[in-house]
Amino acid sequence: MAKLISFLLLALTTAHADTLLLRGAVVHTVAKGTLETGDVLVRDGKIAAVAARIDEKADRVIELKGMHLYPGLVSAGTDLGLVEIPALRAAVDDRETGEFTPEVESWNAVNPDSELIPVARANGITHFAPIPQGKFITGSSGMMAARGWTIEDMLVRRHTAMHLVWPGHSLKIPGPNTPTDAKSLDEQSRERKEKVREIERFFADAEAWGKRDAKAAKVPAWEAMQPVLRGDVPLIIHADGQREIKAALTWSESRPKLRIVIFGGRDAWMHAEELAKRKIAVVYTEVFTLPVRSSDSYDVQFAAPSILHQAGVSVAISEGLDRASASGQRNLPYIAAQAAAFGLPADAALASITLVPAQIHGVADRLGSIEPGKDASLFVATGDILDIRSQVKQLWISGVEQSLESRHTRLAEKYRNRPKAK
Amino acid sequence: MKIVLVLAALALPVLAVDSSIRPPGWRPLEASSHALTNARIVVKPGVEIKKGTVVLRDGRIVAVGEKVAIPDDARVHDLDGATVYAGFIDAYVTFAKSTREAPADGGPPVNEGALTSGATAPFLGVNSAAGGPGAKSVVTPERRMAREHAPSQKSLDALRNEGFTAANVVPDAGVIRGTSTFVTLASSDPDVAILKPDTFQHVSIDAPRSGGDDEDRKPRPYPASLMGVIAVVRQTFLDARHQAADHAHFAKHPKDRPRPNVDTSLEALLPAADKKMPVLFEPASVLMVERAAHLAREFELQPVLLACGQEWRRPELARAAKAPFIVPLDFPEVAKMPEDDDWQAVPFETLRAWDHAPGNAALLRREGIEIALTTHGLAKRSSFRANARLAVARGLSTDDALAALTTIPAKICGVADQLGTIEPGKIANLTVVENGGYFDEKSRVREVWIDGRLFPAALKDEKDKKEAKEERKTLTATPAQQDRGPLLSPKIIWIKKATIWTCGPKGKIENTGLLIVDGRVKAVGSIEQAPKDAYVIDLPGIHVTPGLIDCHSHSMIMGGVNEGTLPSTAMVRVGDVVNSESETIHQQLAGGLTIANLLHGSANPIGGQNCVIKLRDGAAPEDLKLKGAPGGIKFALGENVKQSGWGDAFKSRFPQSRMGVPAFHTNRFTAAQHYMAALAKKDGPPVRRDLELEALAEIIRGERLIHCHSYRQDEILAFLRVMESFKVRVGTLQHILEGYKVADEIAKHGAGASAFSDWWAYKLEVYDAIPHAGSIMRERGVLVSFNSDSSDHARRMNLEAAKAVKYGGTSEEEALKFVTINPAKQLGIDKTVGSLEPGKDGDFAIWSGHPLSTTSICLQTWIDGKQYFEREAAKRRAEARNTERLALIAKAKKLASSSTDDKGGDEKAKARFFFRTLEERQNHLCVDCCMERTLSWQN
Repeated sequence: MAKLISFLLLALTTAHADTLLLRGAVVHTVAKGTLETGDVLVRDGKIAAVAARIDEKADRVIELKGMHLYPGLVSAGTDLGLVEIPALRAAVDDRETGEFTPEVESWNAVNPDSELIPVARANGITHFAPIPQGKFITGSSGMMAARGWTIEDMLVRRHTAMHLVWPGHSLKIPGPNTPTDAKSLDEQSRERKEKVREIERFFADAEAWGKRDAKAAKVPAWEAMQPVLRGDVPLIIHADGQREIKAALTWSESRPKLRIVIFGGRDAWMHAEELAKRKIAVVYTEVFTLPVRSSDSYDVQFAAPSILHQAGVSVAISEGLDRASASGQRNLPYIAAQAAAFGLPADAALASITLVPAQIHGVADRLGSIEPGKDASLFVATGDILDIRSQVKQLWISGVEQSLESRHTRLAEKYRNRPKAK
Repeated sequence: MKIVLVLAALALPVLAVDSSIRPPGWRPLEASSHALTNARIVVKPGVEIKKGTVVLRDGRIVAVGEKVAIPDDARVHDLDGATVYAGFIDAYVTFAKSTREAPADGGPPVNEGALTSGATAPFLGVNSAAGGPGAKSVVTPERRMAREHAPSQKSLDALRNEGFTAANVVPDAGVIRGTSTFVTLASSDPDVAILKPDTFQHVSIDAPRSGGDDEDRKPRPYPASLMGVIAVVRQTFLDARHQAADHAHFAKHPKDRPRPNVDTSLEALLPAADKKMPVLFEPASVLMVERAAHLAREFELQPVLLACGQEWRRPELARAAKAPFIVPLDFPEVAKMPEDDDWQAVPFETLRAWDHAPGNAALLRREGIEIALTTHGLAKRSSFRANARLAVARGLSTDDALAALTTIPAKICGVADQLGTIEPGKIANLTVVENGGYFDEKSRVREVWIDGRLFPAALKDEKDKKEAKEERKTLTATPAQQDRGPLLSPKIIWIKKATIWTCGPKGKIENTGLLIVDGRVKAVGSIEQAPKDAYVIDLPGIHVTPGLIDCHSHSMIMGGVNEGTLPSTAMVRVGDVVNSESETIHQQLAGGLTIANLLHGSANPIGGQNCVIKLRDGAAPEDLKLKGAPGGIKFALGENVKQSGWGDAFKSRFPQSRMGVPAFHTNRFTAAQHYMAALAKKDGPPVRRDLELEALAEIIRGERLIHCHSYRQDEILAFLRVMESFKVRVGTLQHILEGYKVADEIAKHGAGASAFSDWWAYKLEVYDAIPHAGSIMRERGVLVSFNSDSSDHARRMNLEAAKAVKYGGTSEEEALKFVTINPAKQLGIDKTVGSLEPGKDGDFAIWSGHPLSTTSICLQTWIDGKQYFEREAAKRRAEARNTERLALIAKAKKLASSSTDDKGGDEKAKARFFFRTLEERQNHLCVDCCMERTLSWQN
């Protein structure tokens, strides 16, 4: 059937210039399984056809026998572009002050010439969602391509998600490192309930504002909330602990229109059933952080994505928002690989860094899989992309081949060529 | 002869005082002769008179027995139905108000002006007589509680009401705290109360409080870490002895040498240093109990220990201390959690500690340790009896409990000739209890007698009485070490068929076998038949590698990874603070790791001494240490040591630039040369042993390896050249991010390079770091390893090695060596570990597939031919722990919610519930550590 559609598409658009045929690779479509040997036809920056064999004349044919073809990896949430060097305040733009700042837009601060972007791209990352951080409602993110002359050039789509950092539910405990004026546990408990109420008040106010006369004065913050309240844009809730996740789930039950996604999700596996039932996706960022309980199994977080997946939760895997994650983006496939080694099926592991993040951010019509009609953002690797030893050989974003050079390859070359010291 | 006569003359009026007439208006002195009749008399634990009489006169016991003649002038006290014990002694009492202001933050800041590179001696240009600059305020051996004793009547009443008649009053602040004084509790007048002016010298071993939040970080005085505290204690004892020796030398050579210093602090420490006064160590955790014992052995001291309450974690360490313990009964009280889910965040270890606590005293007795009980740590001394009963319910015999209040504290405090039993000639201190024995629930303290004077106990409000719940009287938790230690220890292990990566000359061999006998590799190769009695490992498709080695770890270090106060802290030792209780050991074993090089952080140009350990999970710190590993020390260069990321309060310590770093190193090495020259001299005044310079001298002599945190190529070369000028070969350059730029120079110098696989751009000096670096350095002849510097990465060093294949094009076999034989060579331990060759230690990991593949997982990890990790066993362990955790939560909930009055609880005991020991306070540092993070209970 797929073949037939591609054939029809081909028939409609034959004899167009600027076509590229990728021939004979192991094609990991993600959406429709893997073709052990397959061809992919690219036309005008889009994937025109995917089939075991495409006998179409193309402007350029690349033989990829024995190579693996993947859709570009999509980073579900990162500091990439917002942070160059975390230790230098001047080079950090990933966080705003203020408790409710929905009008903040992360893509405005992405540096297209960040040295970090080519490094990520060289390992197959073609797209990423730069996440604004802050107190509660931190702002909205868009989906960016890992190339472009300007931010507008890089943007695939603006406003693909709104972000809510769920207030921490940990209690400050009395002890040698706690200030003596620490509040009582009950007081802390009241405060954390109050914070949740504050969030609810904000949403209620935003909703009320949305019902005002269309001619009323504009308020950027309230306006930014409207697509979220309508359910047009997902609300990504950043929550790791069991208590935070549970509280976020409880709160969101009263607002069924919201499209909730859990980001972080360290303990999300404890609520796998509910998440599955409510079709709440999880961006799991905690594969490589240490277990927090000494009664946890050593592999609790290696195995968490697999537990979520088995329960039927849609899982994306991400490096998280630790500031070192911008420079560490290239390790994205290896985080998914660890989850795969500990039970996540290989295809789900691949989807967790391609199609699922594209779906979460509402760009699956263009990204995340090798399917006709989607952007020709793909790359060639010498082997399984989840295996560290595999090399990315060629990469295209929207049909345009991208350089795999980076600050690293340049420096490596320079010093490999340094004459032997006397 | 004359003197004796004078003494005799003085003695007469002293005796006369008791019968003297007081001036009119004063209450006449009370009768000095008393007979306590018809009482049950417990002469000493285990020896009692069912019904008898005790006669007191002039503050002494003069007779005791069933039938004793009652003197005519005695007041007779009919104690029918009551029990008379020897007066109770509390060997560790702090009174509410100390007259001395405790240094809340550890004392004044470091005298930074003095920390220049100009001085070579004494220690960093500052007189370090009291343990180093800044240490003065926590080193106060001269403090005497005898000079400060001024208790309020209320505080004396509180003790007497519980039956106490004498106490040892202790100093409450600092590291070397001063001397305690032994008093009877009759009077607040020190001249009357003091029985023994100086009982013990007190030494506390605890991590100094960390500073405020990250934002308002300020310089802290030395010592700011637990290992710094231990170094201070060692240096101060050395200095005390040195001063004495120096003065002795001066007495013989008064004219031909400089006059020695007189430091009265050191003088005050001398009795303890000379074993003339016991030293009361106050370790903050069970592993510090071991360190206290270690210090006592090193300096041949006479130790007494204050129990930390966590001895149940490692009873064998308490036993090995071979010293009596003073045991507080400050049991944690379970706090009510605001919400049910909050219970899930209560750490397993917290619950366990709470459950074990009341059994600690009984456990110490079972270990054969002499114990004395104390009211110390209780918010209200009135809860002492209830807690003592709880300790009895948990297995402490009443005889032992009684001894712990009488004979043992008397003995420990050196007053057994005067107190502790009811015997003629002893001080008339008695504790009288009615309605049963002291440890019976219904009994009450009726009165105490102190120095022959009667003190009736206050009538207590019965509502105050808080008895432990029944559930508290039984133990639910398992022993701490139950699920640790080797899973298997077969004499012979035979891996039948596997792909074996020897990391030795034989390379990788497919379809072969491995034979381990008596913990060592016997043979690599196919064997036809299973050796007799061999433990056979026959798993499909497995790969076997040597146990992985991490050349840069901060994982199992307690009480601070950095002593970052001074620019050189060569005197501190990670080996003093190895955390054998860390869960990271298990987690890293699960990634095939068997050896870790525990390094001091990178906060100063010269850091502390390292410690190489094998991850023998369950072993105590000393047994984790890899015997035979050469000593090492951490050095650092660049941004961290010039404090560029520390905040604006850190702008005066030398060095503040990369120019100053080599200047500083040159200075300290020159100082070490001077020190060596002084030591080499045969005559002259005794040389003060300087622990900092001693470590640096070891480097110069080639006995200690430098592991230097280094980033930029300029600083790397500058450092190598300074070291070469002292003929020192650097052991490893750590991180060495720009090492690829000066690989030839590094190779020529002969330093190893221990690098990150692919970290970069987290700070400015790593902007040029590249993942090809390891491979490039290797190609140019440098011995390269990859390290973790992170408790996370240490769980997958094999995958770090794979990155050398990916980015640098290094072959798989060579890449694996980056985490096996190469770090072994760098650490000087390659004779026994790092590869699978006959004769080497049986340290290996078994993988489900290719060890460099992300889809492979570690199935088993073996050290010395013992199995320490096995995946299925690990699962069972986690399940058992979780079951236990849930059972403890259920118990805690029950006891917390059944408390009728929430405010009625003891706040201090509730705070204690949350207390996390040094062992539990994991450092949250990840990569490149120079700054400690504030620890919190976040999960």
